[in-house]
Amino acid sequence: MSDTAIHARGQSLPARGSGAVWLAAFGGLLIVAMLVSLGLGRLSIPLPTVAAIVGHLALPVPESWTVLEERVVLLVREPRVLLAALSGAGLAMCGAALQGIFRNPLVSPQILGISPGAAFGGALAILLGHAGVVLIGSSFVFGVAALVTVGLIARIDGRTETATIVLAGIIVGALFSALVSLLQFVADPDSSLPAIVGWLMGSFASATWPRLALAAPAILIGVIGLFFLRFRVNVLSLGDDEARSFGVSVERDRWIFFILVALTTGAVVSVAGVIGWVGLVVPHAARLLVGEDHRILVPASGLLGGAYLVTVDTISRTATAAEIPLSVLTAIIGAPVFAILLRHSWRKEHAR
Amino acid sequence: MSLSTLRAALLAAGAVFAGASAVQADPVTTTDLNGRTVTLDKPAERIVMIPIPSSSTVIALDGTTDHLVGMHPLSKSAIEEAILGEFFPDAKDIASDIIASGGSSGFSPNVEAIAALRPDLVVQWGHQGEDIVAPLTNAGLTTALIQYGTEEKARDIIKLLGTLIGKPEKLDEIIAWRDDTTAKIEAGLEGLSDEDKPSVLYLLRAQTELRASGTGSYNDFYINLAGGKNAAAELQGLKPVNAEQVAAWNPDVILLNGFESELDVSRIYDDPILGATNAAISKRVYKMPIGGYRWDPPSQESPLTWQWLATLLHPDLFDFDIRGEITGWYAKLYGQTPTAEQIDGILRVSMNGGGANYDRFLAD
Repeated sequence: MSDTAIHARGQSLPARGSGAVWLAAFGGLLIVAMLVSLGLGRLSIPLPTVAAIVGHLALPVPESWTVLEERVVLLVREPRVLLAALSGAGLAMCGAALQGIFRNPLVSPQILGISPGAAFGGALAILLGHAGVVLIGSSFVFGVAALVTVGLIARIDGRTETATIVLAGIIVGALFSALVSLLQFVADPDSSLPAIVGWLMGSFASATWPRLALAAPAILIGVIGLFFLRFRVNVLSLGDDEARSFGVSVERDRWIFFILVALTTGAVVSVAGVIGWVGLVVPHAARLLVGEDHRILVPASGLLGGAYLVTVDTISRTATAAEIPLSVLTAIIGAPVFAILLRHSWRKEHAR
Repeated sequence: MSLSTLRAALLAAGAVFAGASAVQADPVTTTDLNGRTVTLDKPAERIVMIPIPSSSTVIALDGTTDHLVGMHPLSKSAIEEAILGEFFPDAKDIASDIIASGGSSGFSPNVEAIAALRPDLVVQWGHQGEDIVAPLTNAGLTTALIQYGTEEKARDIIKLLGTLIGKPEKLDEIIAWRDDTTAKIEAGLEGLSDEDKPSVLYLLRAQTELRASGTGSYNDFYINLAGGKNAAAELQGLKPVNAEQVAAWNPDVILLNGFESELDVSRIYDDPILGATNAAISKRVYKMPIGGYRWDPPSQESPLTWQWLATLLHPDLFDFDIRGEITGWYAKLYGQTPTAEQIDGILRVSMNGGGANYDRFLAD
């Protein structure tokens, strides 16, 4: 399925200037989303108070708020907003890079088996009574293991077809989903089972500064790595033979990306559970606006993904007294958006 | 083998399979919680309990574990880990491999394992679909269905089980205790205005995620009965919430579930947000006690839950002698007298002892 790649080459790359404008716009969107999210919550705190609470850390603002208000803003909302922004950026950049590398608009960390693998790793850690570093490490290791398995299954006679990768991803994903069910089956219904179920549903409700500190390094390594290697996505998206003719070691580069993606996804899954759709839908939305050049597309997806997940998480924690599971919202919002994008791009391609 | 010995053997086998047919007893007919008619030739003597909390109800009605031949693995572990295990050491020999999964999840019956126990009564959930009931009825097992949720259903369960095992006096006594306790609490709360009712938050989960009990839950029922207001009344049923929502409700009292075994009241006191609520500041965070069964869901011991909670919510209105009630009623329910240490364990004194007004539950 190389339609995308053909179009990538057929389309003139957008001028760098317009790319910078888009990046600035998405960056502004992310900052606005984060500020709005910081000001909203179930505990109604007036906006000026929120601003004063955040500002008093650096500026001499007279303290006119309760301890509870300060703690809610600084210890609940701030780490949660930052974690949502970082996770959204990470997942969307992973999706953008994978879609480019595989020259397939359908791949995402979820379809390649990384998320189910990481989910299994995390569930296993919870079942064995671990949290924190072990949970993150286990998510990461099994995320990578799932991806390696996909790579091995899909590689036939030294060639890796995109269709076989997607199919292999579905196979491995199904296997790990079954293993997660097996863990739930043996888990203690009074203690570890609800912990596993709640964690798998995906939520930033338990975000704290220590959790953020635990996950942020891994996500940041992924995000920064993907950012600096974004031009290589362009090269890899040309296809193996052409990429090799540029003197690129295709296999090695691909693995570098796989490790970055697994690190990011594993870290996100470990602190927030499996969050679907962000890695799939956001890169498509970004691509419609900024074009196919991954030098712009990868960072644009990151900024847009951060803004998207912060917005969705804000709805999740403020819409009702009960927390709405994130994956439910990302899918309810993501599925129609994806359907519209699909029709839009299909029509555009066939109009040419 | 002569014809007469063969006939005797067949008769003996028939007698075993039909139960002790020589004993003359009146047939029992009643209606279960799904409105089905249940008929037994005589009061049940070999009972298999698939729903988790009700095994202890059978023990309480019967005063013995002798007629319980099979129960859910989680009922068994709950009994073994708590005071009923000390009262009835033989309970560890009761079969628990009655769930189709072979493990402890779900309520789908392992029909062959259950049939092998030759039960004259199998009790199953009636609100979780026909799929977990049909295998039992198709196998010809006499099945009674019960449903979880309200106080009314809890009473119906006690009446149903008491009727089926032939203990009408005991069931009347247990029901009268519920009526009596309800009346005492309502009389004590007479004239109490809404502003004087503390807001109470029951957390079904608190260890990793927070899950609150909203309107329609059994916890909501006894919070209101005991003279409180459910802080999470805007929720329907059991829902996940975040710490900020708890801060926004700012409950006066927080009740921690008795299910999460490692959950401690320090989870609330040490949390920067939950620890800033009225409940934490005034030291009114309590973990639910665990007696013959956990005091959170409805059981034969519910009046103890109500008295305990009413005393904590309105220490100036109520002065229930919880320790005395436990001693008196455990003798009636289980035929056993708990020691002072056992009562401390039931009331979780080591954990709750530092809470406000808990001193009145301590031994003299």
